[in-house]
Amino acid sequence: MSLSWSKAFTIAQREYLTTVRRKAFLFTVFGTPALYAILMTLMIKPQVSERAHQMRNFRVLGVVDSSGAFAAAEPEIRGAIATDLSMLSRAAVKAESYRVEVRSFPEQTEAERALRAKEITQLLVIPADYLETGQLRRYALSTNIFSSVDERTVSGWLVRSLLKSRVDSLRIERVARPARGMTLYTLNPQGGFEPHDERRELFDFLLPFALGMLMGLSIVIGGQYLMQGVSEEKESRILESMLCTVNAEELLAGKLFGLGAAGLTIVLAWIVMGAALAGPALAMAQVQVSPALLALAVVYFLLGYLFYGGIMTGIGAITNNMREAQQFSFLFTFMNFIPFYMMTSILGRPDSGLALGLSLFPPMAPVAMVLRLSAPSATVPPWQIALSLALLAGTAWLVLIGSARLFRTGLLMYGKSPTLPEILRWVRER
Amino acid sequence: MLEVREVVKSYDGRAVVNRVSFEVRPGEIFALLGPNGAGKTTLIRMITDILKPDSGQITLEGRPVGGGHKHEISYLPEERGLYRRVPVVEALAYYGRLRGIAARTARDEAMALLERVGLKDWATKQVQALSKGMQQKVQLCTALIGSPRLMILDEPFTGLDPLNVQLLEEVLRERRAAGVTVLLSTHQMNKVEEQCDRALMINRGHMVLYGAVRDLKRQYADHALTLRASRLPAQVPGVREVEAVNGELKLTLEPDARPRDVLKALVDQDVEIESFSHSAMPLEDIFIKVVREGLGLDHGQSGPPTADALVEAGAAGGRGR
Repeated sequence: MSLSWSKAFTIAQREYLTTVRRKAFLFTVFGTPALYAILMTLMIKPQVSERAHQMRNFRVLGVVDSSGAFAAAEPEIRGAIATDLSMLSRAAVKAESYRVEVRSFPEQTEAERALRAKEITQLLVIPADYLETGQLRRYALSTNIFSSVDERTVSGWLVRSLLKSRVDSLRIERVARPARGMTLYTLNPQGGFEPHDERRELFDFLLPFALGMLMGLSIVIGGQYLMQGVSEEKESRILESMLCTVNAEELLAGKLFGLGAAGLTIVLAWIVMGAALAGPALAMAQVQVSPALLALAVVYFLLGYLFYGGIMTGIGAITNNMREAQQFSFLFTFMNFIPFYMMTSILGRPDSGLALGLSLFPPMAPVAMVLRLSAPSATVPPWQIALSLALLAGTAWLVLIGSARLFRTGLLMYGKSPTLPEILRWVRER
Repeated sequence: MLEVREVVKSYDGRAVVNRVSFEVRPGEIFALLGPNGAGKTTLIRMITDILKPDSGQITLEGRPVGGGHKHEISYLPEERGLYRRVPVVEALAYYGRLRGIAARTARDEAMALLERVGLKDWATKQVQALSKGMQQKVQLCTALIGSPRLMILDEPFTGLDPLNVQLLEEVLRERRAAGVTVLLSTHQMNKVEEQCDRALMINRGHMVLYGAVRDLKRQYADHALTLRASRLPAQVPGVREVEAVNGELKLTLEPDARPRDVLKALVDQDVEIESFSHSAMPLEDIFIKVVREGLGLDHGQSGPPTADALVEAGAAGGRGR
């Protein structure tokens, strides 16, 4: 393979600049995270608001007590519910207090009438044999997916009312929420135990998720740019005149570097934006990403990109247009993200056979290994990392050689999709 | 300049180019002719080092093509396109940079070329804003930028209006005057007659004609005299057949008869000759005749000549059969 690096650089430079100047690129850099943030807000904020709304509307609980166990029950229920999403920030969590009046009815008929007339919000019927059976009936005009908030409120009232006058108020509170003040201590990197921060627990999940997602996306975005570029150039008959001046290997190398850099630019921009937004929370939760993990992530990105980039280039070269190319590429893009579907298992048991197998299998190795390495309890033996890298590097090299051969021959084939035997023959041809 | 020796390229056991040999001399415009599927594009792709021959050798000034002097050859393929969403001048300058010119020089040269083909005002517009004809002129410029020493143009006249055909011919003449060698592949035989010094015709991968265009025309002329005369004797030595065509007389000569002897015999018999000409066959007719012979459709001569005979004759500047 004779390569003129100056020509490859010229091609890489053009590919990079042309790509990053496109409006679609800017949309990917800024639009994708913005869209994601909007979607998440649209999903989570209404949930929180709806729970608060549910409690605000829960004004009167009607009770028909046939058991007599609740004669001295509390006449009201008081509590609070979080109403904002500030758990990741330094700001204190806002809580909205609520009060529910408890109104007793001698008979169910009268209570039901009051419920229908909306004088009470819900009705709780306590049968005479409640203490023996535990059976209760709750009546409401309607229900929705947030009705569990009401159930928790009613349960708390039942506990407090059952114990009232039998035990002291402190014990009542402890029984109602026995583990409210429990702190978990875990081993820190320095070898001592320290209180486990709930936010830290969240980050223990979010960090591998974010790193794995960035790894998967950066590989896929670079690969997609490659496939799109090759496919468009083939479709618009640009390549033949270029191949007179540069050889297929120079063209391929230039595209790999230029479009890989474009994909990396997107990921870097997302990291910078993410750090600016979540940096204070990360610092507060003492989340640290080790330099060794970052270095390994870079190596896995490079090898993973070469592997998938080679495949995408080959697909672009043997197909006739972008639509055809995308149909073929879907399977490979999916393979890259398969470790995400097994993320709970990988993070829960990063040393399991499944986690090891996925991190050794080249198409899934970059994402799977980054998930394993960034899992909270990860201790990945060096030999597994070395073997995984060696397998990925070897496969990427073979894919690139095959892809260069497909690229050289496929670029000049118009109108007819090659058969599998033809593709294999092109790959074998030197 | 360019030497192609005994080049063979096969696909699936079928020779698409079979023992083709020819040379293109410095500063000439050389025509590569042949019917569709003759192997012209494969041959061009081997000359441009896009494909490797199975056997044989292709050299540019004594060195194998490809490698370090790829930038000395430019190629305008028959099926061609441009990057559509970039300014015209950038699309053009990119080709210049790939041929080893510095970025600024490439841009200057691109502007000069655009001015030459009348597209200076469109330099900063996106390629996709140009009409099809304008894009074709930009495509031509991609083959001109970077001062390549050998230009290979495949059907460059297709789709151009008469004014732009004239412009292209002027540009070709300018380049030729500047010492650039041009290999022209076209089906427009009138352009070959007007522009080209020598030609090679291939059919089914074999060489069938090779030599100077004027020699090919001379050799393929009908062995006949066309004349306007007062009368004609019943018997003229050396004449096999006489027929009247559009008020003129066409005298088909015996194979060994010389036109000057026939004319002398007529004058000796007091025939008043107002005008006469030695019939010439247009290159297009030669093309059709040769292709048909190669395909076995002509009842006259059969089979292509041997490559060795063609090379010998072509290199001598003569014709191949």
